[in-house]
Amino acid sequence: MKKILASLCTIFLFSNIVTSAKAEINFLIGTWAEEPLTPFVEAFEKETGIEVNIQTFPFRDLLATIEVRGNAQADDVDVIFVDAPLVPSYAVRGMIGPMDEYFADTSVNAIFAPAGIAAASWNGEMYAPPLNNSGQLTYYNKDLLAKAGCAEPSMIEAERVTWEEIVDCAKKITDEANGVHGFIFDQISRYYQLQALPESAGGGSGVCEGGLSVKGCLTNDGWMKAGQFYYDIHNTSNISPKGVGPDQTHELFGLGKIGIFVGGSWNNGRWADTDLNYGVALHPYFEGGKVVTGCNSWHIGVWNHSKQKDDAAKLVRYLTASPDVAIHYVEEHNSLPAHNSAILHVAEDPKFNNFPGIVMNLATYESANHCATRGRTPGFLEFEEIVNTSFEDIRNGGDPASVLADAESRIESSMRRYK
Amino acid sequence: MVPYLFLAPALIGTIAFKLYPIFIGFWESLIYTSFSGGAEKRIFVWFENYQYLFDDKIFWKSLEITAFLTIIINPLQIAMSLGLALLLMRKSKFIRIIRSLYLLPIGIALPIATIIWGLMLDPNQGLINGLIGVFGIPPQPFLVSENQALWCIIAIATWKGVAFWMLFLLAGLEDIPKQYYEAAEIDGATPFQKFRYVTIPQLKRTILFVFVADTAANFVLMVPMIILTKGGPLQSTNVLIYEGYRSGFYYQDWGRSLSIITILTVITLIVIGLQLLFLSEKNEGIKVK
Repeated sequence: MKKILASLCTIFLFSNIVTSAKAEINFLIGTWAEEPLTPFVEAFEKETGIEVNIQTFPFRDLLATIEVRGNAQADDVDVIFVDAPLVPSYAVRGMIGPMDEYFADTSVNAIFAPAGIAAASWNGEMYAPPLNNSGQLTYYNKDLLAKAGCAEPSMIEAERVTWEEIVDCAKKITDEANGVHGFIFDQISRYYQLQALPESAGGGSGVCEGGLSVKGCLTNDGWMKAGQFYYDIHNTSNISPKGVGPDQTHELFGLGKIGIFVGGSWNNGRWADTDLNYGVALHPYFEGGKVVTGCNSWHIGVWNHSKQKDDAAKLVRYLTASPDVAIHYVEEHNSLPAHNSAILHVAEDPKFNNFPGIVMNLATYESANHCATRGRTPGFLEFEEIVNTSFEDIRNGGDPASVLADAESRIESSMRRYK
Repeated sequence: MVPYLFLAPALIGTIAFKLYPIFIGFWESLIYTSFSGGAEKRIFVWFENYQYLFDDKIFWKSLEITAFLTIIINPLQIAMSLGLALLLMRKSKFIRIIRSLYLLPIGIALPIATIIWGLMLDPNQGLINGLIGVFGIPPQPFLVSENQALWCIIAIATWKGVAFWMLFLLAGLEDIPKQYYEAAEIDGATPFQKFRYVTIPQLKRTILFVFVADTAANFVLMVPMIILTKGGPLQSTNVLIYEGYRSGFYYQDWGRSLSIITILTVITLIVIGLQLLFLSEKNEGIKVK
């Protein structure tokens, strides 16, 4: 009996030693990326022998989890998803480490588009290479526009639709009694999408030069114009519905309840199974203003408190620098590429010249030519949260001037930590 | 010595899980974390975080909303709980079924109840607007209105809380000897007099417990704010606990966050102290014993 027990103990101990010898890294990602990334993570495991534990979180929970783990300087995280504008914040607070040494044998310019590299970097060092990119377009319901007698917005640069034209048409479409509205933003009250409004009106990103102040940059004429526009579409002309969250907007458009939907390229596949008769056009701009669209997306970084940085960096490079992953992301998930090979793929494959594939082509064009990088500041987390809340307050009837002034003073106060 | 040994596990638990976190929270509220120059620095700043807070109008607005919520929600919940408990004391062959129905909200977790209420209060497709529409009332904005959002949260929290607090009051009512009511009836007391001079004095201890516990619970009420309103619209639901949570977990400004939480703890202790002072036994109206 003793011998049997001793043998079992030996086997148990040996199996433990074998198990612990196998490298294991923890990878924090957004729920939306689990399906597309899992096959490549499995391929990585097979190729390297490194085991990867994927932990998924919805958008807001992912950011909160990263903050909590960062605050605790936890070493049980190795690789994280990084929202592009948070690169400076994570870098300054030592939550992610520089990646340049892991790409020393190659040229990052040959792999990634310049906007992706810019978003991935802070103070001249690359911290989190891009996984994908994003672009914003105008989707419209052909039937509702025809019924209202509106001209369809164009895909041609010289005929790009203006916000003023969008509002005019949306007023004709809106039929509140039947739950039909003329217009809606995809990412309601989110800075990512709405930044295009003040930028187009000449107000800039909201963050002042140097990234450590917002004084005068969130209350300038451009931001006031954008705030008033956002107020009016929800409270004066009522072309946009209140009380609808970002997760519901594409569904409303898919149900034929919205005339014009300004949203991301990732929406394209969402209406494939519906009877929706829709078209796509370039992103709107204010008449006489700048043409600007939202851009950048998710990056991947190595957790600075990880004990397995080399293995973690291998995974980051495998997922971001691989053309296969980038092309798969485009083909299967309508995600805009940040990788040069995938950008070339979109440009050369004929299917992207026809509807609905042309959405990828148009979004790539918008992102490459009119990308408004979000405000670069180590205090982006606070900045974005307060700006998002302010847009929501304006949407719910708050006076744009006082809401933006409040937001400016609040953000300025929180920025003192970085000065 | 023996009594202290018996008390020790509870005392150790209270110190480790109540007093120590409060002390740590207070200590950390005196620390300012700076990322100036790209490196994290923790600086002991005495009461500077509090000073910033007192100059911050968001904090004062938040304090005002917390005070308003406390003044409204606690008496409302207790009055409704007591009313419900009195109703459920009545004799009926269906009383067990009715009691079970009233207790249903206790079985539903607050986050789930909040989500369900959020769907019902949706200004565009919500059930409530559909129902009030039957009576010719126009659709209401509810959670997206600066004037209605806090009332909606009061309604949700009351729907969830009333049954729970009612249980204690029901137990207290069951505990009142029947002879007191019989004696009052012989003396010709009206139902209101029986309630005023028998029920209330006999229930005073239970009411005091419910009042204190309910107040403490409502000071930390923030699930509906997290799920439904994010403190808006226009900060109309931004209570202190949520502002503290947001400062810490969203902005990582732990000095500010813990200053808010410390102030909230002090306010809670003062309010509860006042409740104990004014509602304790020595202030009881009459003793029927």
